Amino acid sequence: MRSIIGRNLPTYFAALLIILSLNFILPRMMPGDPLMAIYGEEALVAMTPELKAFLLRSFALDKPIWEQFFAYLYQMGRGNLGFSYYHSAPTLEVILGRVPWTILLIGSALILSTTFGILLGIESGWRRGKPLDRSLLSGFMALTGFPDFFLGMVFLLVFGVSLGFFPLSGSLTPYSGLSGLPLLFDMVRHLILPVSALTLGHMAGTYLLTRSAMVTVLREPYILSARAKGLPERVICYRHAGRNSLLPVVTRTGIWLGRIITGTLFIEVIFAYPGLGTLTYEALLARDYAVLQGVLLVVAIVVLLANFSLDLLYARIDPRIQHAH
Amino acid sequence: MRGRSHIHSAISLAILLFFFLPQSIAWAKPLTYTIADTTGDWGYPSPHRRYPRGPGYLRMSFIFDTLTWKNEAGEVIPALAERWEYLGNEKAYVFQLNGNAKWHDGTPFTAEDVAFTVQYIKKYPMAWIDPKIIGKAVTLGPHTVKLVLSERYAPFLINIAGTMPILPRHIWKGVSDPRRFGGEKALVGTGPFRLLDYNKAQGSYLYGANYDYYGGRPKADRIRSIKVAAEMSAAALKQGLVDAGSIPPDLAEDMKRAGFRVIRAPYGWHLKLVMNHRESPLDEKAFRQALAYAIDRKGLVEITQRGHAMVGNPGFVPPDSRWYNPQAKPYELDLDRARRLLRELGYAIRDGKLSRDGIPLKLEILSQPGFKEVGLFLKEQLERLGVRIDLRSLEAKTLDSKVLHWQFKLAISGHGGLYEPSFLKRAILDEEFNSARYRTNQELTRLVMEQQREMDTARRKEIVFRIQELYAEDLPNLPLYYPNWYWAHNERIDIFYTRNGVAIGIPLPLNKLVFIGKEK
Amino acid sequence: MHISIRGEFRKDTFGQAGLILLMATTALALLGPIAVPYNPNHQTHWAFKSPSTFHILGTNHVGQDNWSRLVHGARTSLLVGFSVACIATLISTLVGSSCALKGGLYERIMMRFVDGLLIIPAIVVLILVSAYTKPRLYLLIVLISLFSWAGGARIVRAQALSLKDRAHIWAARSFGGSNWYVMRRHIVPDLGPILVVEFIHSFRRAIFMEAGLAFLGICDPARVSWGIMMRNAIEYSYMNVWVWWLVPAGLALSITILSLAFIGHTLEPFMEPRLREHVDA
Repeated sequence: MRSIIGRNLPTYFAALLIILSLNFILPRMMPGDPLMAIYGEEALVAMTPELKAFLLRSFALDKPIWEQFFAYLYQMGRGNLGFSYYHSAPTLEVILGRVPWTILLIGSALILSTTFGILLGIESGWRRGKPLDRSLLSGFMALTGFPDFFLGMVFLLVFGVSLGFFPLSGSLTPYSGLSGLPLLFDMVRHLILPVSALTLGHMAGTYLLTRSAMVTVLREPYILSARAKGLPERVICYRHAGRNSLLPVVTRTGIWLGRIITGTLFIEVIFAYPGLGTLTYEALLARDYAVLQGVLLVVAIVVLLANFSLDLLYARIDPRIQHAH
Repeated sequence: MRGRSHIHSAISLAILLFFFLPQSIAWAKPLTYTIADTTGDWGYPSPHRRYPRGPGYLRMSFIFDTLTWKNEAGEVIPALAERWEYLGNEKAYVFQLNGNAKWHDGTPFTAEDVAFTVQYIKKYPMAWIDPKIIGKAVTLGPHTVKLVLSERYAPFLINIAGTMPILPRHIWKGVSDPRRFGGEKALVGTGPFRLLDYNKAQGSYLYGANYDYYGGRPKADRIRSIKVAAEMSAAALKQGLVDAGSIPPDLAEDMKRAGFRVIRAPYGWHLKLVMNHRESPLDEKAFRQALAYAIDRKGLVEITQRGHAMVGNPGFVPPDSRWYNPQAKPYELDLDRARRLLRELGYAIRDGKLSRDGIPLKLEILSQPGFKEVGLFLKEQLERLGVRIDLRSLEAKTLDSKVLHWQFKLAISGHGGLYEPSFLKRAILDEEFNSARYRTNQELTRLVMEQQREMDTARRKEIVFRIQELYAEDLPNLPLYYPNWYWAHNERIDIFYTRNGVAIGIPLPLNKLVFIGKEK
Repeated sequence: MHISIRGEFRKDTFGQAGLILLMATTALALLGPIAVPYNPNHQTHWAFKSPSTFHILGTNHVGQDNWSRLVHGARTSLLVGFSVACIATLISTLVGSSCALKGGLYERIMMRFVDGLLIIPAIVVLILVSAYTKPRLYLLIVLISLFSWAGGARIVRAQALSLKDRAHIWAARSFGGSNWYVMRRHIVPDLGPILVVEFIHSFRRAIFMEAGLAFLGICDPARVSWGIMMRNAIEYSYMNVWVWWLVPAGLALSITILSLAFIGHTLEPFMEPRLREHVDA
């Protein structure tokens, strides 16, 4: 078990290093004063000389490049991601304020898409070749082509604007004065469209993978022996075949995380959901470099942590690994 | 019998009271007015922390008052100052302050607060207020203060007295970091509303009425400002989610038909074709004029703005302003005249392309993401004239930077604040990227500086008229159009645009007087 | 293992469908601009028109013909997709096979780098870099390529590893062939099927990326993109003609991505023989 986790750690460090280097190099590659490149001209004009001096010192911008890099790493480690002039607040604070909503959105979508993807994949694989399988397969195959922002827009414009079933944007009705259960209900109402779009866009991958894993597993000899033992179909389907089809999904989820993050960014922008996605988009429009770099770092760290947790999970559920070496 | 009629009367009276008394009691149903805003977050509404943009200022202005203010007609009216007097020989204003004004925490408002504010902003400047204009503040009594100016400044009552929020001395005298100062104390003002909640991530504000406001009782008990995407604002209005909000100009007619009141902002913002008049070929006046004759500004408005804008005035001042001079050169579309001017300059045309001394005429236009269509249109127009055009799209800040450093030939950029003639100095002489920075014409330069100091309005108007004539003749930049900006509301409260913009010239119908029901 | 590509396609309806759709899209992209009725960039005041005989898909907010823009958008998508696929496949081949052949520290470090690249969510990096640079077509292609080659490199390396121990490689080596020679003459040709599949996948992802970035506003302003058409649909959704802007562009995008997905799916058995529907004798 230890070897699995240990094997991937260098990769995670590599990824982190790439991101930190990128964040470091980009503003310094731009012509002109690096402080201007980091914060933008407008921000610079409005900064007090004290603030400028402070930033210059903490990022060692007047020293040689190696010292700058270490100063930069040190600041990152302390959680000083710079100051977002646009928000008039420290970048980390701005980012952390938006994280909960994004987690709510991604979390719900991830849970729903994984659950339904796996369930449908198992059922489909079990009934390979039959009408249900064929229709599900065709349907999901078709779904893979639709980008999540397309789905999101269609949902918003059809169900939100034209039909008016769901709220047009945001995560809550502002100052509604609700609390407790009605507040929860309000939150859910605002979540339905974005989560549906996100889930639909990502269920296909899970479904297809589970289905093909099922198809493979069902050919294995132990399934035949389970049948010979006279075990009920349900048990064979889920307890034996299904469980072993989970492994590929867990392995792939780490890679898919990148895709669902991409999807979430688009969905948040479309539905004006106040999470990291809209923050990134707003920062792009305002050229708030500090926030953009901060978001990249935070997202990368979260992805790395998620992958790490998946490694742990993988090690636990694959009995073959546990008993190897 | 008599007893019966007594009972009858009693019952009738009771019935009457039952039906009519409720109406005579003002139903204590709180009126919450909801405003839609496309951006949502404009910063924490304290004078130093609000974003340096119009909507940010307005959200702060509900809480903090200024010495003077403007009514719907754009006239300067009393706010914290009841009366004022200008002492020409001293270059000073004496203000008699309102004795009834109180800070939200109950402390009475005095002249000390005004003097303190003037001194405070010299140390901790606020956006938009130039602290150097006020030389010093002297308190002449508990409610009398004299502000001595360091120079003659015609727009003082609007740009300073009507824009600078007064801070409570008893709270701010110990504050050394106004950009981080927050909490309940930071938002103690004299204004008609107090802030109840501000949510940065949601981009929402909630205000509660200050019923003891010296200027009158607020009509709304609560004001909410919430974030609604631009394309959704009309739907939000129709669904009753908001009471007022800006709407895309294409929907103005539609909203009127749907029963909403639609109001249009007086023209205060314009888009211009910025020209680098320091470099060839644009350093020749005739060349700039030729370009102006070749561009169909009416067509530009019709096609790229679908008719929802006023064609630009080459003299600079918007046509609906009382400072507008209709005699300035109009530059109606005249391709022949454009070509003639170019020929006189030595340009020859061959195969539809212009060249001079064998060198083909090529120009680069810098455009920004929001004005891609304008860029394309200008490219088509100038190519029709025979100029080869390279259209480059940059994002706004990069473009501003290039313009500032004269690293361009032609650029498309816009700015506002066109209400008060003092903008002429900022937009013609000052060293900012929004400025033409044109000092070649001595007379123009002299007049621009003079209008700033001319305290007599009639004489000032004459000067501004002449400025427009000169500007249109020299044409350092070409104003393209003034966009139509509309707001729609459901008439629960009659919101209005202020004639010259709120305070320093903010073109939004969120003048706090809207919520107090003061005389218009 | 002898797998004939044509044979695979004949058996798989999805693959056939994909191939047909892709060819149709390509044909449209190539011939279209000659055959469309209007210049997609020409602005007129006939804005927000619904479909009519003059404009079969209506017009947008500056009076440009939607159908003409749709066809020109196909060009942009296919151009970007194809270029990115070429560059990404080239890089992944070079990196993957060189890792397999050289091995040692070079391979270990390179593979960590590759894995690291895979984990990073590309979209955020692309947004960040775009904030610093001006969006021009070639820059977009290069940027997207930089994030597309990592997955392919891993697969190429795995395949090259299994190939390098084959007899004919040994022979070439023993005759004095250098790594470069061996890579060029022996390994790369045998990688053919894998590379084709990876090419298809890169193509597909690049098209998605280009449209997505264009949707966010990151695109070459001189070109028409499906992503921009969809973005305009939301910006002007209140005009109630959004259907004609969103649906054709979205469907065109989806169909193009789908066709590539189907083709890739059909060719997948080259990489994962266990997935093949028919069991070899």
